[in-house]
Amino acid sequence: MSGSLRGGPLQGVRVVELTKVWAGPYVGKLLAYMGAEVIRVESEGSLDVTRTYGVADINNAPGFQAVNPQKLSVQVNMKTAEGINLILGMLEKTDIVIENLRPGAVKRLGLGYDEVKAVRPDIVYVSMGMYGSEGPLSYQTGYAPCFAALGGLSSLVGNEGEAPTGMNIRYADSTFGTAAAYGALVALLHRRRTGVGQFVDVSAVECMSSMIGDSIMDFTLNGVIQQCDGNRHADMAPHGAYPCKGGEWISIAVKSDALWVALAGLMGRPELATDPSYARLADRKARAGALDRLVSQWTSGRDAFELASLLQENGIAASRSQNSLELVADLQLWMDGFYREVSDYAGKSKTTLGPSWKMSRAAEVTTAAPRLGEHNAYVLGDILGLSAERQKELSDRGITC
Amino acid sequence: MSALRGIRVLELAEGVAGEYCGKLLADFGAELIKLERPGCGSPTRALGPFAPGGADPERSGLFAYLNTNKHSVALDVSTLPAADTLEHMLNHVDVVIDDHHAGWLAAIGLDPVIVLERRPGLVLTSITAFGQEPPPERRYAEDLTVFHSSGWGYHTPSGAGEGQPPLKGAGRFLPSYEAGLEAAMCIVAALYEREESGLGRFIDIARHEVLASRADYVLAQMVAGDMAVGVERTAYDLFGPAGIFPCRNGFAYIWMSAPAHWEALRQLLGNPLWMDSFPDNWLERECTPERVAQCRRHVAEWLQAEDKHEVAAGAQKLGLTLVAVNNAEDLLASPQYQFRGFFSRVDHPVQGTARYPTVPYRLSRTPARIESPAPLLGQHTAEALAMLTGDVP
Repeated sequence: MSGSLRGGPLQGVRVVELTKVWAGPYVGKLLAYMGAEVIRVESEGSLDVTRTYGVADINNAPGFQAVNPQKLSVQVNMKTAEGINLILGMLEKTDIVIENLRPGAVKRLGLGYDEVKAVRPDIVYVSMGMYGSEGPLSYQTGYAPCFAALGGLSSLVGNEGEAPTGMNIRYADSTFGTAAAYGALVALLHRRRTGVGQFVDVSAVECMSSMIGDSIMDFTLNGVIQQCDGNRHADMAPHGAYPCKGGEWISIAVKSDALWVALAGLMGRPELATDPSYARLADRKARAGALDRLVSQWTSGRDAFELASLLQENGIAASRSQNSLELVADLQLWMDGFYREVSDYAGKSKTTLGPSWKMSRAAEVTTAAPRLGEHNAYVLGDILGLSAERQKELSDRGITC
Repeated sequence: MSALRGIRVLELAEGVAGEYCGKLLADFGAELIKLERPGCGSPTRALGPFAPGGADPERSGLFAYLNTNKHSVALDVSTLPAADTLEHMLNHVDVVIDDHHAGWLAAIGLDPVIVLERRPGLVLTSITAFGQEPPPERRYAEDLTVFHSSGWGYHTPSGAGEGQPPLKGAGRFLPSYEAGLEAAMCIVAALYEREESGLGRFIDIARHEVLASRADYVLAQMVAGDMAVGVERTAYDLFGPAGIFPCRNGFAYIWMSAPAHWEALRQLLGNPLWMDSFPDNWLERECTPERVAQCRRHVAEWLQAEDKHEVAAGAQKLGLTLVAVNNAEDLLASPQYQFRGFFSRVDHPVQGTARYPTVPYRLSRTPARIESPAPLLGQHTAEALAMLTGDVP
């Protein structure tokens, strides 16, 4: 059952995850959504916290379910030498291994790159750390908002002249995971072309810096340290989120003087389009505070969705700022199959997120996140070739639990 | 050997998303040919930051950053002879990257369905804001409006007050960088399979869906009915005393969610009296708004006199997740970034020498490298056109 072919560019690729929480599992999810067979190694004694957050049933934990659809789960006790040997046996038959355990943990377990390379010389070994696997600060650890703070991202989000606030606390892990997935696939392609595997060492903090590369260039070229500046934009005005009826917000971004003329007309203030205080971008930027107040006066009390539609009819980029209720009701996300149904082990349907992309000859995405050890028999039996008796014995002795 | 050497990419993109995608491929050795409008070149050449000397198309630091290792061909694809040239070029490339609005490819004669029928080996990539057939209310978009449609805007920053305007993401182009990265990942996956099958693909990337997918940990729970949805600005948040606090020389971020963090803080502060009124497990079990406020007040008082780097180093050694809020200058000075070589010295013929941020993954055998600066407008027109329109691939 588990070796079933779902199509997609990575059909036939086997991935093993030694991962926890979000960023590492996100890599496996991306690869699984492109057709790879992705196996999570888990154990009762070292459960991913997302299997236990807020629920009693580790097989129905919402957080775990969110990031692990379309994967397989095998139980191996990594605190035993036999368990480590089983994992090495799996890795011998694996194309990509992903780890995001604590700094140094895989080496202590005997699952570092050198050990794995000894059994599978051409493995693509992906190591994910807050600061990467080596270096003077690689001992440091943290969660997503730490990545964003260290990478220079948080300092750019906040109101002008105030302490930065940073992005939403959820930002960083999935970006980190995507960068790791890209690095892994470049290495996999290289292996297909040359037969040579390699070590892919990914830094979460650097992932964040790479999302603000142009801001950093301002410092390297001009010595300018960019600061948080509310919703301002160097090349657009108005540019911001403006209040609407019922606590809603609309985002509006005006990228040319011509579009400003259109907006001023819609606002019933056509004279602003020719007013020397607002006619050109430089004028509007110089009076950005006053400009934002003018726009806010107009948007206040109006319906955000209707207003966005009106602006769109006139060629102006605008969107309702979607709250979570509106986001899960986003018709386009349903029509596109971004929200889609998968089936759990009992055949029960569950809604989850599909891939962000569409592609020809895409992989099927059909199954929900696995129960703990749901694929023990497949991995231990079909992949490792262990007899049913041997599997039972390993289980009885706590090696696969 | 670089991992993508021998892969030829034609870049029709003129925005940050597509140019960033192309850069990610070119920095691994792909041969990237970028078409630019004669005269003004790519629109990103008109955007800052500019190197000293004035805002001319060869001084855009944005363009320089996004277009390392590329070749520039001055060609206006909207004119008829150019369309012929383009048609020839497609016979000689493996990948095409576009990031114009939906329908643009068809308008220049490259309807994806028809192109793939005639050239089944091509990996044709389109990055748009809302996909190939956007609904009428989503025809026009900028990164800001995509940030807001995707749910990130409404929920930024964490802990926002109801009346406070949502804030844009960091910088100008975060949604475009995210989409460019997603596209590069899909392209390389497609190239992997193509090595064996010889078949290409149409890859359709929408910034809206890329950004929405980046919140999968919460959004998938919401759409499954496992997490509450509503109008709260804090719907994505975790609650607790975590946050950014002023220091002597900037800001620091502190994260506390477990008893071990609390113990580490106690050690670091020398067991202060105020901590005694908190239960040891309050962060996990009894995290009331009053305690959070009280804790934040004391943490703020303590941190204001501290050096952000020194206090972070001390905290990390005790297991407390406290880090500096870095800015660009801090990144250049970071011993870790220096160790990993995150910044690369690049000599640009007009802009001079500067240290560019590179990529966050280090591949031991085929590292990404900046081997040549961004091209001058049309720098490679003659040689690239000869190569791409000749008879020999």
